Amino acid sequence: MRALRLPHSPKVLLGLGITVFFLLLTIVGPYLAPDSPNNTSFAPNLTPSWHHLFGTTSLGQDIFSQTLVGARATVVVALVAGLVAALLSTVVGVAAGYLGGAADDGLSLLSNVFLAIPGLPLLIVIDSYLPVNSRSNALVIGLVISVTGWAWGARVLRAQTMSLRNRDFVEAARIIGERRWRIMFSEVAPNLLPILASSLLFTVLYSIGAYVTLAYIGLTSTSVWNWGTMLFWAQANNAPLSGEWYWFVPPGVCIALVGTGLALLNFGIDEFINPRLRESGLTARQRRQRGLPRRVRLGLTPVLRDAPVRRARVMDASKVSS
Amino acid sequence: MSTDAVEQVVADEATSPESIATAAPTPVLQLQDFCVDYGVGARAVRAVDRVNLRVDRSKVLGVAGESGSGKSTLVYGFTRLLRAPAVISGGSALFTAGPSREDSGEELIDLVGADEATLRRLRWTQISVVLQSALNALNPVVRVGTLFDAVYRAHRSDMSRAERRARSVELLSLVGLNEDRLQRFPHELSGGQRQRIMIALALALDPSLVIMDEPTTALDVVTQREILNKLAELRARFGFAMIFITHDLSLLVELADEIVVMYAGRLVERARARDLYESPRHPYTLGLLNSFPPMHGARHELTGIPGSPPDLSQLPSGCAFQPRCPYAMDRCAREQPPLAPLDEAGRYVACWLHVAGEHATVPVELRRAAPSSRDGGSGA
Amino acid sequence: MSDADVPVSVLQSRHLTRHFRVRVAGQGWRRRVVHAVDDVSLDLRAGEVTAVVGESGSGKSVLARVLARIIAPTSGELYLHGEPVAATSRRTLAYASDVQLVLQDPFGSMNPVHQIRHNLERPLMIHGAARQEVRALSEAALRRVSLEPPERFLDRYPHELSGGQLQRVSIARALCVRPKVLLADEPISMLDVSVRLGVLNLLRGLCDDEHLAILYITHDIASARYLAEEIIVMYAGQVVEQSRGTALVDDPTHPYTQLLIASVPDPVNPVAAAPDTGEQNLSTIATQGCRFHPRCPRAMDICRAQEPPAYLVGEAHTSKCWLYRDHPGAPVELAIPRRRGEGVTTMT
Repeated sequence: MRALRLPHSPKVLLGLGITVFFLLLTIVGPYLAPDSPNNTSFAPNLTPSWHHLFGTTSLGQDIFSQTLVGARATVVVALVAGLVAALLSTVVGVAAGYLGGAADDGLSLLSNVFLAIPGLPLLIVIDSYLPVNSRSNALVIGLVISVTGWAWGARVLRAQTMSLRNRDFVEAARIIGERRWRIMFSEVAPNLLPILASSLLFTVLYSIGAYVTLAYIGLTSTSVWNWGTMLFWAQANNAPLSGEWYWFVPPGVCIALVGTGLALLNFGIDEFINPRLRESGLTARQRRQRGLPRRVRLGLTPVLRDAPVRRARVMDASKVSS
Repeated sequence: MSTDAVEQVVADEATSPESIATAAPTPVLQLQDFCVDYGVGARAVRAVDRVNLRVDRSKVLGVAGESGSGKSTLVYGFTRLLRAPAVISGGSALFTAGPSREDSGEELIDLVGADEATLRRLRWTQISVVLQSALNALNPVVRVGTLFDAVYRAHRSDMSRAERRARSVELLSLVGLNEDRLQRFPHELSGGQRQRIMIALALALDPSLVIMDEPTTALDVVTQREILNKLAELRARFGFAMIFITHDLSLLVELADEIVVMYAGRLVERARARDLYESPRHPYTLGLLNSFPPMHGARHELTGIPGSPPDLSQLPSGCAFQPRCPYAMDRCAREQPPLAPLDEAGRYVACWLHVAGEHATVPVELRRAAPSSRDGGSGA
Repeated sequence: MSDADVPVSVLQSRHLTRHFRVRVAGQGWRRRVVHAVDDVSLDLRAGEVTAVVGESGSGKSVLARVLARIIAPTSGELYLHGEPVAATSRRTLAYASDVQLVLQDPFGSMNPVHQIRHNLERPLMIHGAARQEVRALSEAALRRVSLEPPERFLDRYPHELSGGQLQRVSIARALCVRPKVLLADEPISMLDVSVRLGVLNLLRGLCDDEHLAILYITHDIASARYLAEEIIVMYAGQVVEQSRGTALVDDPTHPYTQLLIASVPDPVNPVAAAPDTGEQNLSTIATQGCRFHPRCPRAMDICRAQEPPAYLVGEAHTSKCWLYRDHPGAPVELAIPRRRGEGVTTMT
């Protein structure tokens, strides 16, 4: 396959940096936290200071520690949900697109139903049926979120599979006698990889939103710290009204940053699939130095002369033919 | 590369093809040392290398070569239609533009130096292009009639709606299509019909040069024949010059007045169509001609050309064809042969075999005389 | 037909037909049945190339797929080694290992994410090669198509090879399973002019050295003349003219074949002007009488009313045209082959 190399674009590098930062935070966050997030021994409502970087809650908990500890649950649930949803959408999408006919009709109907049902109410309904003790389980919550998040990816993968199905190499595999499921997963699926990666990013993004929302409206266990429960407690204690911005801004910014990071990373995937988006090899400065136009213009091939010999030839030519 | 290039320019200077053809009719287009690169700097690949050619008024120039030989890059290069990273890296393309208004005379324009406004003025009115795939070239959601209308609105703003319609109908009938096709969408037409519409569009503003990039390659032979007949008819009527690109040499022999053969971005042979067919002088031309199984005579095994076309970024030393050439000599691997005149008939070949003073004898296949006792006419 | 020197038929089709229902542009929801392959009977013989020539829309590619049983026929029979094949049932692995198809586009028919190795090893493994001999067998397959040294190609990806090399890999992939019949669907039309002959000569060599029966499908009648022992011209799904040797090209009898040959660019005798006869599409294919009559310069009343049978116009040369109804030869039809061991040859 194409050689793996670091993307050029600063956008993608920034996205990669943010994403890697939060992944690291998931691993080391709880160990870095100076205090326990449940420790109520500090003075309440302290504004940010050197001792409490993000201040304290009205219950006297350290918000910085809560943010660091909360990263793990948020990201783990999002990853579980994203991976499971991506798996579901691949199986449903590729099967629907490749098999066609009745299988396609059935699977498409299924994904359309899931697309049409508003995700959040469904999530709330499913969640309220869960036994209370399993609401603290990241795996269970992740699975529940993935149920509402796979349908969009399945639609996209189905469309792409349908176009791949008619490609000659699929017919060639059929000619040599390859079995159906092998064609689906050994011939078709690898070609879907870029789209799969992109759809994974977006389901992870969706899952963070869904998980934070569930936690915010108090449907997950409040004993598990995540950015959603932080917002839940901030809202429950009237933080926005009493001017305690340092309570809800840190989790909010973290959520926004993760979202931005993933979205920027997606540009990298686009660049990876679509060679036209790749830089032509020259930086803007190099182009200017060589006297080339900064932007690629349609219908105007740039001219670049460096040998004076050829200039002389042009004069010559006009003399001959006039 | 640099010293080699200077030497080459000097060599070309000494044998400049144009210095011989002084008494020739007015050229519509004249390319001088025309070069196109892909990319800039160390990674640049030369796709068209110092091409010299001329197209005379009302004549047909055939450009033959395999894919990657630079034949399309050449024409899209001088029409300035190539997109970056392609860069014109040298030479000139002098185009004789016909009078744009009644009061003005002909003007000589170097397309390489021309600005956007000049190019916009010349394109379609003076130079038009017919692409290989008419399916992709026609906007699928626009009716055929609207396409014609748009061309006239853009370039002949003084025409009324009725005049535009009348002219469109006339053009369609010229290419053998019924008036009712104006109401159709491109996908409702067959490949042959779409290609006819492309040709009609290209001729809409009476250009002096029409460029055809493999216009019939995607079509069936019967349709191809009909389009070629139509083209001959139209040319007789309007007298435009034509550059016809194809890999099918036998088609060019029928159609073209003069043929240039390209290999790895360079012209390797240039000759009158009939001469090229009957007595090819470059081993590559001979190989190409032998690659088409004949329609007549006893069947015997043909060998074609061994090997495959070269990678432009890793050209062999000396003559680019030398690794595949059955007649290669030591010198071929060392030096690049210049495109030099061979006889008075306006024939040029870039091959050391034909350079006087070489000790090697010219192989008999490449010495075969043209049976000039035939009618001598090259047109059909 | 005399069958003294005609080799054994490996794959035979009798009255093979495939219909499609298509929507006609500009006619709303009305559908029309298209006879993509209509009543085609042919014999593919060991050590021989049979060429099928036709324009786009003549059904030649569908014919190849029906013969490979990728597309099920609507009706008709297939016989492999004289044994009837249940044509409408699913294709068996055994059939796939005897009859292989090479596709037109060498770039499209290789999966871009897999190495060349994958393309050769998969068919070997599917068709029961032992794991330890797979490597040696795939190298041998590459050698058979003159890609040497084979180890240089096994680990490459398709985009690293040229079109001619890829088409050879494609042929090697088909040869891996040791087929008896090779169906080649326009194998050279996407290749560069200079490498086309190499692939044609390769097919010729396989045919001569390994006694493969080859069906060569093409729109290029000159290459058919160069390669084939038997040439078949198809129009609108039907065989309109058929001959052994080059008789069909040297002395065409059917008006369509004559039109086809007159249209080929030919520097030896350039045509002045051929009549503008339109092209082969749904609106010019007749539903009644001879399929070609709307475009035929010699159409008669009977052509509009009734479909002509195939007449014998020369030695092993038939033409499906009313012009030859008074010809001394009787209408011919290939016999249905009997089972092996019944002691009857398959040709009459």
